[in-house]
Amino acid sequence: MMPTTTAAIPSMPAAKRTWSRYRHPESTVRFAVIMAILAFLGYSVAYLNIDLSRILGAFPRLVEILATRYFPPDMNYVSDADFVRSVLRTLEMSLLGGFFGVVCSIPLAWLAARNITVSKRIAYPFGRFAIMSSRSIHETIWTILFVTVLGFGMLAGTLALTVFCVGFAGKLFSDELEAIDMGPVEAMRSVGANPLQVFQYAVLPQVRVAFTGIAIYTWDVAFRAATVVGFFGGGGMGWYLKRTTQQMESTRVAAILLVIIGLVLLAEVGSGWLRKRIGKMR
Amino acid sequence: MSSAAATVSEHGFDAYLAHKRRRRINNWLLVACSLALLAWCFWDTIMFDTDWQRMGGVLGIGGTLERFLLIDWSLLPKLMVPALETLMMATLGTILGCVFSLPVAWFGAANVTPSKYFFYPFGRFLMVLSRSIHEIIWALLFVGAVGLGALPGILAVAMRSVGFISKITAEAIENIDPKPVEAIRAVGGNQFQVMYYGIVPQILPVIIGTIIFEWDINIRRSAIMGLVGAGGLGLVFFRQMAMFNYGGVTLVVLAVLVLIAIGEVVSHYARKAVI
Repeated sequence: MMPTTTAAIPSMPAAKRTWSRYRHPESTVRFAVIMAILAFLGYSVAYLNIDLSRILGAFPRLVEILATRYFPPDMNYVSDADFVRSVLRTLEMSLLGGFFGVVCSIPLAWLAARNITVSKRIAYPFGRFAIMSSRSIHETIWTILFVTVLGFGMLAGTLALTVFCVGFAGKLFSDELEAIDMGPVEAMRSVGANPLQVFQYAVLPQVRVAFTGIAIYTWDVAFRAATVVGFFGGGGMGWYLKRTTQQMESTRVAAILLVIIGLVLLAEVGSGWLRKRIGKMR
Repeated sequence: MSSAAATVSEHGFDAYLAHKRRRRINNWLLVACSLALLAWCFWDTIMFDTDWQRMGGVLGIGGTLERFLLIDWSLLPKLMVPALETLMMATLGTILGCVFSLPVAWFGAANVTPSKYFFYPFGRFLMVLSRSIHEIIWALLFVGAVGLGALPGILAVAMRSVGFISKITAEAIENIDPKPVEAIRAVGGNQFQVMYYGIVPQILPVIIGTIIFEWDINIRRSAIMGLVGAGGLGLVFFRQMAMFNYGGVTLVVLAVLVLIAIGEVVSHYARKAVI
């Protein structure tokens, strides 16, 4: 619309401009960051001594091994009464671990939610740290630690799953708590309610449905973790997995893996269905 | 609320009260059943299965805990290189997981999938498969395929992250604004141009955020890949455990914590920079 200076001088053709989304400082920084990441990746490949051609070869090889060594899954082994009992125990462990984890993580999440925490100086960092540290350590490491202290068996597995669920559910719970409507909380505070009353009457009704959904999801994830807790002595079906892998009974390993995949799929479908129903009650 | 008001206006107040009472009874029944189930689980797993005698009472547990609490600081200088290795494995695993999840997300997004009846269910199945198999099992499978070393660990981490990344990506693709895609099609863009100019710019922030989040999780996953001889902090952990040097074990756990705290800080700022 507006006549520009270059158009005003007819003898001089307009310089061809290339358009780019980012201008000088941003584009340089972006380029540098991408280069740095690529350099780190290249250095890691060299340092860890990885043969890149083997990555693509891994999949045909995996299929070949599955087809030749693992193929006829030994279904008799998994229909054995002892194995079925261990599956049941895995389920029990996941239920207990999920329950205790959710029960412990609600107060921790309350402390770790910035907007409604009891005190920002002491309780908030404490809650954050407790949730972060139980989340950061992998569940298998927790299992090994508990097995060392308490001995083999389902107690260690249940406790490891509990700690795992505290980290998992605590994060989701505290995120949910930080997103609540602060109006009722302020109303309760202004009429002189103590923190517990605020939590019970202003916070809990807002997050009840979401918390139920998260609790069910936590159980789903805990069940997934419970299938391998036994691998390190935590009880349940993981123990059978460890025994058969170490004795190279590949057809039995295949059968156990099939059972695990089937059960996890069932748990996922079940928890998805339950969460959908609870979401409708909102 | 509206359904309750409707009940009151249609059937009178008594019906509403009866409805409410029935709901309360149902709720109580549900709670009672769940508690009974949990109590049975508790009895079966913890009271029945645990060998209380062998645990050695409070003194025995206290003794073991004391050995964990005497941290072996002399191990500290030897942890720097394994920590770096863990970080490298997590990064490589995440990048590889992104590469693998590209086709899976393409298959599993309902609006761009090549075939709705074959590739779409296949992509969805791959997502669920990747998430349902624990990383330890992936690692065991890959050790059989490529042998011991860092590679099976990286592949296991990558396979485990495929499910999450591709699921979020597929959802992002399904929620894109279709207008730019149609515009590019209308001016004669081919399939690749539609993807590169129409879809990728819309989903890039979501994907990068997800990748950074997954990288954060992958640090803790790769910290246990020492189980398959993949090196890193996991290997030091298992070695210290085998030597019964519990003070060293505690130090390794603390090192994992510090590493993940660093990862969390980095990912926080990286996500802020991207979004």
